[in-house]
Amino acid sequence: MPLLEVKNLRKSFRMKNSLGRTSGQLIAVNDVSLNVKQGETLGLVGESGCGKSTTGKLILQLLHPDAGQVFFAGEELTGLSPKQMRPYRRRMQMIFQDPFSSLNPRMTIGEILREPLQIHRLAPARQLRERVVDLLERVGLSAEHELRYPHEFSGGQRQRVGIARALAVEPQLIIADEPVSALDLSVQAQILNLLQKFQREQGLSYIFIAHDLAVIEHVSDRIAVMYLGKIVELTNAQELYKNPRHPYTEALLNAVPTPDPGHPRPAALKGEIPSPIDPPTGCYFHPRCPYAETICRQQEPLLENISEDHCVACHFVSRVGRYLFKK
Amino acid sequence: MTTPPRLDVQNLQSFFFTRSGLIKAVNDVSFSINQGETLALVGESGCGKSMTALSLLRLLPAPGKIVGGEVFLDDRDLLRLPDIEMRRIRGNDIAMIFQEPMTSLNPVLKIGEQIAEVLRLHKGLSQKAALKQAAGLLTQVGISDPVRRLRDYPHQLSGGQRQRIMIAIALACDPKLLIADEPTTALDVTIQAQIMDLLLELKQQRQMTMLLISHDLGIVAGNADKIAVMYAGQIVEYGSIEKVFHNPLHPYTQGLLQCIPRLGQRHNLPTIPGQLPDLRKQLTGCLFLDRCSGPCAPCSKQMPQIKEIEPGHSVRCWRY
Ligand SMILES: Nc1ncnc2c1ncn2[C@@H]1O[C@H](COP(=O)(O)OP(=O)(O)OP(=O)(O)O)[C@@H](O)[C@H]1O
Ligand SMILES: Nc1ncnc2c1ncn2[C@@H]1O[C@H](COP(=O)(O)OP(=O)(O)OP(=O)(O)O)[C@@H](O)[C@H]1O
Ligand code: SF4
Ligand SMILES: [Mg+2]
Ligand SMILES: [Mg+2]
Repeated sequence: MPLLEVKNLRKSFRMKNSLGRTSGQLIAVNDVSLNVKQGETLGLVGESGCGKSTTGKLILQLLHPDAGQVFFAGEELTGLSPKQMRPYRRRMQMIFQDPFSSLNPRMTIGEILREPLQIHRLAPARQLRERVVDLLERVGLSAEHELRYPHEFSGGQRQRVGIARALAVEPQLIIADEPVSALDLSVQAQILNLLQKFQREQGLSYIFIAHDLAVIEHVSDRIAVMYLGKIVELTNAQELYKNPRHPYTEALLNAVPTPDPGHPRPAALKGEIPSPIDPPTGCYFHPRCPYAETICRQQEPLLENISEDHCVACHFVSRVGRYLFKK
Repeated sequence: MTTPPRLDVQNLQSFFFTRSGLIKAVNDVSFSINQGETLALVGESGCGKSMTALSLLRLLPAPGKIVGGEVFLDDRDLLRLPDIEMRRIRGNDIAMIFQEPMTSLNPVLKIGEQIAEVLRLHKGLSQKAALKQAAGLLTQVGISDPVRRLRDYPHQLSGGQRQRIMIAIALACDPKLLIADEPTTALDVTIQAQIMDLLLELKQQRQMTMLLISHDLGIVAGNADKIAVMYAGQIVEYGSIEKVFHNPLHPYTQGLLQCIPRLGQRHNLPTIPGQLPDLRKQLTGCLFLDRCSGPCAPCSKQMPQIKEIEPGHSVRCWRY
């Protein structure tokens, strides 16, 4: 049994016109299903605005889905009252994409890290300080930072406080939303190694949202690629890089910039970016897809297995790969 | 005759006067950027990149203070201008994309209002014309359905959409100098490529000058002309992008370049062991000493000065 199972999640937001009346809806997450085993990392990538953070918040019941179900350790979470949800709150943590707005500006970092330990009675009072300093050191900060407030930190330092807070309560699942996006390479590597160490030691599971494909590939066992609210490809990390089968995945891989000044800059995807308020007909990717033919405009491709652990939603799966440049 | 640089920063020092001591966040930083050129500023988290940028605009948060140096934009010393003139320069001549969009967008104002306000103020447009131009800017930064999106509040947008709103606001007033602090951290690689193309176009067509802060060395390599590597409040290496990438001199730069994760590499990621020194401490030697792979005799006794090793390539290290 997977630790987390998500079935057909859907979430829309109502849009208002200039008079304040509802005018259409924005489908942020559209029929998303996935699962995560204990000790596994599922990577989640996709275009900015495609619904990754919303998916994370739906899983943690921070937002309520229009439809679909979330099971954690076999228990259905969807529909639980806040009180019934409480025991699960510690077991599932989120590292938020925007570290500043997720940290209480009136609490020092020491207080921010101490609070969850006290609430969940994870350490006796006399060990609290030691635990807090240990957490700070693990994320590359130190005791000197304990008495500082969030605004007294740099962007990357705040991001690491968010990571320390999630790790503090020894959860089973962490949804990490762009956890290392503000970190330089060395600190980033240090944090990724730390997250993997926790995983090995405690069997932690992660859903890892990131836009850096090298990072995602490094940490993930399997990777789901989202486009405009839907999963368009899902497979193991190596397969995704060696053998992408969705044209959007291929475009993503081609757009990774090379850290060498002599190299040509990557080309941006052509075509207009579609709107989740008025999605295109048929395949959502067809207006920008180099493989698209008539059927793509008319019929939505379904997410189908092309091998045991490789699913793709594209009418021309077997052609894709032609435009992938080898680096 | 050589033209003077558009931006010339000399010996900039910005300190935080905190309860627990003096933090030397920016400590003797010098660099210059010519018109139409892009300088990348890179370095470890917490090394002082954002505070350098905020100092240029005189927007350093309290208890921070600029305690020394000069910042010339063309022939004006920004650190010595009266406040009103400085306000005019911010927004008109210099625009900044802040590192954390949520902290600089107004949460209770629709994003259309926020962009239109800049256009009204700096370009004298009517509200209607401003909104129209705002929609155009959203399209340029890759936001679909722009007219409807103008009515959204910041919390209704995704992280990367907010970041792109910040970029649109910064570009709205057509700045001479753009300071971009981690402008693409929330963007997937295809949108990122689109934004970098847009910035390149502004650079080529309007000779826009840019200070680009980024830890993404792929972005830096593809978009900057020069690079300044910072460590613990100081610039430790400075030079053309080719020279620094192909022949890194400072042990920190060398370590950093070795940390680049590449697609298809699955083993444990390399790091630079250790961490930034406590910036409050009074250190006598090289600030990188504790982490250095090959320190030599003077390293623990005296702070090295930045020194030009070959034309257009300088380093702060006793080894050279
Ligand atoms: N509270 C809200 N009200 C209205 N629309 C919303 C709200 N929250 C999110 N959306 C919309 O839902 C879509 C998905 O947003 P989400 O934050 O999940 O994207 P994302 O994949 O995390 O993007 P990014 O990589 O840029 O962070 C976006 O188009 C966004 O504008
Ligand atoms: N308000 C403040 N009070 C005290 N110290 C501060 C304050 N703001 C920043 N600092 C310190 O100044 C140093 C430089 O911060 P800065 O934000 O410039 O780092 P940065 O290089 O931009 O890092 P990052 O890559 O993480 O954004 C940091 O060590 C930080 O802790
Ligand atoms: S279904 Fe058609 S349009 Fe969609 S990705 Fe495949 S080839 Fe492209
Ligand atoms: Mg997001
Ligand atoms: Mg910063």
